[in-house]
Amino acid sequence: MNEQSGLSDQYKRASPWPLFVALGLALSEIGVFVGVFPVAVFGLLLFGGSVAGILTESGYTERPWSALVALGATLAVAGVVLIGWQVPVDQLTLENFGRNGILSRSLSLVAAGLTMAVAGAVAAAVEQTKH
Amino acid sequence: MAGEQLALTVFMAVLLVAIVAVLTRLEDWRSYTPLAGGGGVGYGDEATHGHEEKPGGLVRWLTTVDHKDIGILYGTFAIISFAVGGIMAFLIRVQLVVPSGAIVENAFYNSIMTSHGITMLFLFGTPIIAAFANYFIPLLIGADDMAFPRINAIAFWLLPPAALLIWAGFFVPTIDPAQTAWTMYTPLSIEQSMFGIDLMLLGLHLSGVSATMGAINFIATIFTERGEDVNWATLDIFSWTMLTQSGLILFAFPLLGSALIMLLLDRNLGTTFFTVGGGGPVLWQHLFWFFGHPEVYILVLPPMGIISYVLPKFSARKLFGFKFVVYSTLAIGVLSFGVWAHHMFTTGIDPRLRASFMAVSLAIAIPSAVKTFNWITTMWNGRLRMTAPMLFCIGFISNFIIGGVTGVFLASIPIDLVLHDTYYVVGHFHYIVMGAIGFAAFAGLYYWFPIFTGRMYQRTLAKWHFWLSMVGTNLTFFAMLVLGYLGMPRRYASYEFDGAIAPLAQVTTWHQIASLGALLLLAGSVILVWNLVQSWLEGPVVETGDPWNLEADNMKGRDFAWFEQKLKRERAITDGGEESSEDDSEPR
Amino acid sequence: MSLLGFERETLLDLTVNVIPMAIIVFFIVGFGVVPAFGVDPVLTTVQYSLLLVPLAALAVLTYYAGKVVERDEGNHQEAADAASE
Repeated sequence: MNEQSGLSDQYKRASPWPLFVALGLALSEIGVFVGVFPVAVFGLLLFGGSVAGILTESGYTERPWSALVALGATLAVAGVVLIGWQVPVDQLTLENFGRNGILSRSLSLVAAGLTMAVAGAVAAAVEQTKH
Repeated sequence: MAGEQLALTVFMAVLLVAIVAVLTRLEDWRSYTPLAGGGGVGYGDEATHGHEEKPGGLVRWLTTVDHKDIGILYGTFAIISFAVGGIMAFLIRVQLVVPSGAIVENAFYNSIMTSHGITMLFLFGTPIIAAFANYFIPLLIGADDMAFPRINAIAFWLLPPAALLIWAGFFVPTIDPAQTAWTMYTPLSIEQSMFGIDLMLLGLHLSGVSATMGAINFIATIFTERGEDVNWATLDIFSWTMLTQSGLILFAFPLLGSALIMLLLDRNLGTTFFTVGGGGPVLWQHLFWFFGHPEVYILVLPPMGIISYVLPKFSARKLFGFKFVVYSTLAIGVLSFGVWAHHMFTTGIDPRLRASFMAVSLAIAIPSAVKTFNWITTMWNGRLRMTAPMLFCIGFISNFIIGGVTGVFLASIPIDLVLHDTYYVVGHFHYIVMGAIGFAAFAGLYYWFPIFTGRMYQRTLAKWHFWLSMVGTNLTFFAMLVLGYLGMPRRYASYEFDGAIAPLAQVTTWHQIASLGALLLLAGSVILVWNLVQSWLEGPVVETGDPWNLEADNMKGRDFAWFEQKLKRERAITDGGEESSEDDSEPR
Repeated sequence: MSLLGFERETLLDLTVNVIPMAIIVFFIVGFGVVPAFGVDPVLTTVQYSLLLVPLAALAVLTYYAGKVVERDEGNHQEAADAASE
């Protein structure tokens, strides 16, 4: 074992992820439901990132990036579908952001989802080029 | 507004960066080695791990996935919630000492009444059961840990945010707390505008997610992680009740979650699930009680399991009719989903449907009564040892009989039509939730205290706690039964009504008696907390693996067998000696 | 005697769940003999379903639980004695 090995490698019964998965889920619920854009986006990012992390740690995926891309894409698509389904086209304006409850909430899904997907893709690409 | 948004964005960004920084310090992401086949247990290959199981200090508790640590976390959380809910209950009782209301505004009374119920059921009841189950199910069935240790940890860590959301209305100055009562009946819960309700619903939703994750984990653990010599014929009674309870959670809590989301949508996005012109307010009651009645059994089955497990230990006799208890537990599990509308006899539902719900409600009394007879016959001719856990077991049975019998009366439609929404109902279910569930939790706490802490509690204080709780429970809740007969409606913050509704003088007296009982309960609970904390810190260290001397009666279970092995291992290490080979293996 | 393929001991254990079932059956018969609130195609169907579904579910679960326990008992008789302490 090398000196820099992480917590869950050093200790058999420890993992840093569950706390942040829970915190991320709580923040994203508050953010999306109450309609607080920043809390929603960062909550979802924390949730998605931690889920990708915990999946990798427990060996369900080899690297976290594909999970991150998949989660992000799902969220973004869900947000877009919600907008297409519930928001009339003529209300898709910048002023309506913050006024139309469904539009703002859906946009928080899209924003978080895209960020996650892009981050995952970039990280995967960087890792590819390094090796 | 824009400034606030910006500040919030910056704050969230800093939080996220800080978390990433903490994670990169703690974890080496590159070191993860994928498991062959991604095994369900989720531990990495043991060979790559260090010798120590856990890091030290606070990090240990924040990162643990060990079922015993998570059990302790659940227990600590539950005790804190018990204190919060208990203080609320005490304020309620103080308020009702005089008809005009003694200390608080009506609005605040409504808030603490709402929060008392939700705190006790969702933040004390469910977690204290999870505390015992997490600690002991793996030990009792001979498993190394839960089937999904990380999901177990996630389930726990959802609870603190849930609690903060539920209590947000009390400590965030700009947010008013909910005044809906724990049942959150529509249309009131849609019309009340306070933001505290939305946060409370979100908190409840999170606690439901947590309970569901826990339940999946327990089912998977009991089905797949049993030791070689544990099968369905040898499974202990506590695991049986936990299995049934988890099955109930699996069907009940997702439904609560959906109903809560619907209520949130009704409140915030203008849907009409529970509005008068839409789905109708009674739809909420159907959905709520389809969850709510199984919830009652979710809360009472594992305590029954604890009683069935602990009572024989101090009676020096096997549990009488073990299989009866098992099968009747399963029966309660099934029938509990067929009785929900007995909470709704007065809502004007069709009398034919009402009659059916009455029939099943009467039928479900049998499996509970069977257990009572089993416990009594277990004690019959036994050599009883009146330790604190045993006293609480006997108190459980006594209170459960009163709570159960009053429940049978309420199951009968004509009686319910008279007593509905009176203090009789409050008295009935408090005999169960405090007199039975609370007592079983105390029995478990004392019985397993040596295992939890390696120390012994103070026996005299524990007996004080028992007698204050026993007398207090019966004073408070029997007075409530009488108040119900006198016609005192529940939920009132004050009761200056005229004599046509209820005789004010008697009602006042019985309210004062109930409040006196609450004072005893408060005193008992303070003693409990003092005893737990002080004994944990400086109680006498338990030297033997069998502090209850169960070996003499051939009553030692796997829990204390494991404890004995643990003590042996620790002693071998502190003596500097080599561990003998037989100590290496976990006891089965 | 082997009713439904159960041993006598197991049958005795299972009687505990026969009692609530009997209560439900009693009410089914009772409501059939005295339909006190009249008969309505929808509501009467719901009324009897509310009794029959729990009855059937309880019967099925009791049967399978009895089967599984009996099967495992055959495997580990001594262990069973030890565990029910």
